[in-house]
Amino acid sequence: MTRVTIPVGPQHPLLKEPLSFRLTAEGERVVDAAMRLGYVHRGVERLVQDRSYIQNLYLLERVCGICSHVHTTTYCQGVEALLELEVPARGLALRTLTCELERIHSHLLWLGVLAENIGFSTIFMYAWRDREIALDIMEDISGGRIAHAVNTIGGVRVDVEPEQIRLAQHRLDELQSQVDELVNVVKHEGTLRVRTEGVARASLEQIRGHCAVGPIARAAGLDRDLRRDAPYAYYDRLFFNVITAQDGDVWAATWVRVLEILESLSMCRQILDDLPSGEVATRAPRRVPEGEVVSRAEAPRGEVVYYIRSDGSDKPARIKIRTPTLPALSLVQHQLKDINMADVPAVISGVDLCIACADR
Amino acid sequence: MRELLSVLATVLLFPGFAFLVFCGLLFEWIDRRTVARLQARVGPPWFQPVADLLKLLSKESVLPSQADRPICTALPVVSLAAVLTAALYIPVGGRIVYGFEGDLIVVLFLLSLPALFYFLAGWVSGGIYSIIGGSRSVLQYFSYEVPFLMALSAPAILTGSWSISEIIARQAEAGWILLVQPVGFILAVMGLIGKLKRLPLDIPKAKSEVVAGPLTEFSGRKLALWHLTVDIQTVAGIFLLVNVFLGGGSIAFVQPSASPGLVRGAMFGAKAVAMLLTLSVTSALYARLRIDQLASLGWRILAPVGLVQLAATILIGVS
Repeated sequence: MTRVTIPVGPQHPLLKEPLSFRLTAEGERVVDAAMRLGYVHRGVERLVQDRSYIQNLYLLERVCGICSHVHTTTYCQGVEALLELEVPARGLALRTLTCELERIHSHLLWLGVLAENIGFSTIFMYAWRDREIALDIMEDISGGRIAHAVNTIGGVRVDVEPEQIRLAQHRLDELQSQVDELVNVVKHEGTLRVRTEGVARASLEQIRGHCAVGPIARAAGLDRDLRRDAPYAYYDRLFFNVITAQDGDVWAATWVRVLEILESLSMCRQILDDLPSGEVATRAPRRVPEGEVVSRAEAPRGEVVYYIRSDGSDKPARIKIRTPTLPALSLVQHQLKDINMADVPAVISGVDLCIACADR
Repeated sequence: MRELLSVLATVLLFPGFAFLVFCGLLFEWIDRRTVARLQARVGPPWFQPVADLLKLLSKESVLPSQADRPICTALPVVSLAAVLTAALYIPVGGRIVYGFEGDLIVVLFLLSLPALFYFLAGWVSGGIYSIIGGSRSVLQYFSYEVPFLMALSAPAILTGSWSISEIIARQAEAGWILLVQPVGFILAVMGLIGKLKRLPLDIPKAKSEVVAGPLTEFSGRKLALWHLTVDIQTVAGIFLLVNVFLGGGSIAFVQPSASPGLVRGAMFGAKAVAMLLTLSVTSALYARLRIDQLASLGWRILAPVGLVQLAATILIGVS
């Protein structure tokens, strides 16, 4: 059979961010895939060296358009460790609250993208409508829907009034009822299942081999979540389950993410119901003592790692960012071989790539 | 002279071209609006389909250099002509442009022509997505067309006539065919969804896989004509099913005496819109199938069911 090369990207209706796959297909069968990256490389890791620690907060928040808050969280934790700062409990709680709201909005966004890509635009519309509620809560707390600018070194920049807490709780109730309905649809809708079940099945060995993290790793049975295994911020004071599945296909990843939304909702409730009083931040000095640190956090897509080295000045000497999309990219290239052409959208959306994160 | 004018009026105005285009655009709007409401969106205003059509008609038409220009120009025109001609033989609430014994076969043939032109459009327009979309459209054609034809043959065999008007007349005496052959009706609706390439069977033009399928390289006037073709095809397909399965413009299931023309027209319109809403709701409820899933659905389930029903009709119905 003649082989044809099908370009998917950098501009293609399937992709929301620039990334290029060249698929080699025999008829409806994809036999090989080559990938090209770097369309949104902005040189963030170099730029941070010219900016002060405080200025870097706003730059690092823009590494990613979806999980912006977790990047600053990881960065702040690293710098706070170098400064040996004690962050007040209220600050940690608010930081965690934003982290979990961000996870809800990221997972709902992902569910919508997957549904749209397999031709189920109704779920796409509903998921994105419900996501608005999470964005509204964040807007009310911080003033920003996507880039929140909540974190600062030593705590958070925002505080919530009792009125805001009540409003957020009310909105969480609304979100809960809508997500419950969405879970019901995802669980029982047959066509969603036939398009995702058995697609892009990753074994535990493959997950370990590609160092994959986050929901795709948990969907294959790798029981790993930093929020439980290496608690940071406020997570050691919250009750939650780490959701895992066994099959490792797109359906399992969908199910894991949908249940994680429910866990995140419960965590947000726990924080809002029992918010510690006191200050939200401690004052941080401008200069950071010499030293290096590795800071980790569980982003919606998995573990994000920051390496920060300070030379004692008010600017970092080096910051290295490792995002969860990097192993996912290597996994997806592997999975794009020997599959049906019609499964390509499910495979590519299933791993939840964040190209802006990966390219930086 | 008077006779000529009246013929021209039936062909060009009602129930001819102008009426069909009007219905096509109206149905597109109802469909888009319904799907939007189901998806918690507002949906477009009533003039959106007209505005889209006019905008596309006024735009420049660009084709890749390796495309076969004359064929690409001819294809949308020919397929629009095919569906418009097909619609002329379909009665609208008792009114018909032209009918004869055997017009059902002509209509079925003319309605399946656009599938061929659609495939050709993908083949000659010179894009990789177009070629893949084109070959998918042929695969899809083989999956839905056979059950669709079998589903529509059964009523003809049952009533003993291949004329649509005759089938309607027989239903007025003996009741809607839907009551006798509900399975055939479901097959026909599924076939129609495949024919119109609507969700969940929009496989040849699945945008996340093959961008816009065979029509990827089309733009401007040519694309406008393609869109109009689909609109008219929707109208013709729905009218055909209403006539063959739902008794055309009859009010009750059995209706020996003819009701006034206006009532019949209103009844026909109501049934057509109900059919359209069925299609809209279906497209909002399911995810797109894969081409292999459709092929296996078509050949393992739909075609055997259609065959069984056809055999049953011949054995029981005729005797």
